[in-house]
Amino acid sequence: MNFKRVWALTRKDLREFMKSKYVMSAIIGIPLLFAVLFPFATLMPMTKINPADFEGGDFGVFVENLFSKTVKGWDDLDNYGKAMVLMAYIMFVSVLLLPIIIPAVTASESVVGEKERKTIEAILASPITESEIVAAKILSSLLPSFLGTAVAAVGYMVIADVILWNSIGIIIFPDFLSIVFVLIFGPLFSIISVELMIMVSTKVKSVRDSYQVGSLIVLPLILLIAAEMFSFFFASYATLFGGVAGMVVIIIILFKIATKIFDREKMITKMT
Amino acid sequence: MLAIETRQLTKDYEIKKDRKKIYLRAVDNVNLQIKESEIYCLLGPNGAGKTSTSRLLTAILRPSIGGARILGLDVVEDASEVRSKVGLLTETPALYERLTVRQNLNFIAQLYSIPKEDINPRIEEIVDLFDLTEKIDLSAGSLSKGMRQKVSIARAMIHDPPVLFLDEPTASLAPESAKIVREQIMKLAKTKKRTFFICTHNLFEAERLATRVGIINRGKIISQGSPAELRELKKDETSTIFRFSSWSDIIKNYFQEGDYEILEIDPEKKSISIFISDIENETPQIIEKLINQKFPMFEVRHEYPTLERVYLELVESENQPVVKEEVE
Repeated sequence: MNFKRVWALTRKDLREFMKSKYVMSAIIGIPLLFAVLFPFATLMPMTKINPADFEGGDFGVFVENLFSKTVKGWDDLDNYGKAMVLMAYIMFVSVLLLPIIIPAVTASESVVGEKERKTIEAILASPITESEIVAAKILSSLLPSFLGTAVAAVGYMVIADVILWNSIGIIIFPDFLSIVFVLIFGPLFSIISVELMIMVSTKVKSVRDSYQVGSLIVLPLILLIAAEMFSFFFASYATLFGGVAGMVVIIIILFKIATKIFDREKMITKMT
Repeated sequence: MLAIETRQLTKDYEIKKDRKKIYLRAVDNVNLQIKESEIYCLLGPNGAGKTSTSRLLTAILRPSIGGARILGLDVVEDASEVRSKVGLLTETPALYERLTVRQNLNFIAQLYSIPKEDINPRIEEIVDLFDLTEKIDLSAGSLSKGMRQKVSIARAMIHDPPVLFLDEPTASLAPESAKIVREQIMKLAKTKKRTFFICTHNLFEAERLATRVGIINRGKIISQGSPAELRELKKDETSTIFRFSSWSDIIKNYFQEGDYEILEIDPEKKSISIFISDIENETPQIIEKLINQKFPMFEVRHEYPTLERVYLELVESENQPVVKEEVE
């Protein structure tokens, strides 16, 4: 693999993203929305509720077991504090949808967009290989996705911590779980998302079709996020690293399939 | 060594129609032998197979039957090497409109692995060649159609490939820009021994540029040769026109009663057009006879068939692709 060619294509895509208002709004706007709106729309209203309203009930064995392992000082919290922490985590999981949402936009633009605008032909006529094209497209979608997710996660964590500190006097972010998800699972989900979008790109002719088909195809990824989250809550580091290894295997298999599907002839003949 | 060589080159496209697979033959048994530094123009109507032939020869498409070699390299076995040795001007300019001219050219230069230190001098050279220096830092989207076409040609030439495939190179160019492009093509072929494979509808361009012309219709090369050789195919359609300063029926009767094959009599233009089978020998004899008759003749000229006439007569009007086979 010629990494100079891969980087040339990646850099070209990034330049195009930066000049596209639509893509930039997806890369900057959506993460900001997740970072700011989610804590203010969920945690903030909870601070206005009387803590006494939470007394008398319990969260059940399931939640107690789940969070006592993960959140430091969980057992010392009253029901109101536990409800606040629970909500903070639920909304944080939503931030982890960004590694799926952002690549759906960037990959559609960079793969199907090239087909739609017919710029792909000059690339296909050059010596760049199919695997180099796929690698470059993964990289160009991965970078904004990683950056967007990281910005959103950091923003969300800071705002959530401020709200939690003011209302229940504890700070929960960043913890091991959030760091693992942002730095490891986020990028892995992004890569899988881009690979699926590349497979979609050979079958569709327009960016709009790509969004529609792509959004259906990446739905199972949300289940994968949920599965990873729960397995991590319940189990050990071994399960965590097993999960990472499993995703790496999925990524390698999807890369092979995507490279095979990303056939020059199919890209050209489906273009016109 | 031949720059381009094809053997029974054939391309079938698989499409679905009414839940059936249909194979459309876009390129049919094409045999070409194009030498280095030739300018080969492929003429044909829309859908004749010109673009598919270009894509096969630039290793974007794979042949269904037969094969092709570019500078001795097989388009299937050595596809990547073939791509590094050819430049392709696509049918539409298809530039990255949000990027500048320089960024467009820089990107393609990197794909062809031009050393980093050589990229900028090469970009400067090629934009100067096509009079684009002032536009180099403008976004491609802000350029006129003709300018974009020139950038697209510059892009195809950025890595100085030995073989160039140009699809309608002067389409949408102003006459002066088209002239510059034609001159560059001829110069590169002559001085740098570059080979050009040009797909065009422009018969004027083919006539002026081409060392050889191929006429393709429904995927088949129906005729090829130099423009002069192709015109020769219709040499029996050469007419000789005599024009007179004044017109009378005596002239008309003279020709009608004589042993001439009259093609047209036009009293308004005071001219008469005849077919002469042996132009070189018979024309002076006819002129002598007319002078002896004291006819007020002031012009004699031969009207040779143009490439356009040859092309139009060779190409069948029907352009529907051939259905090869149907599979349930």
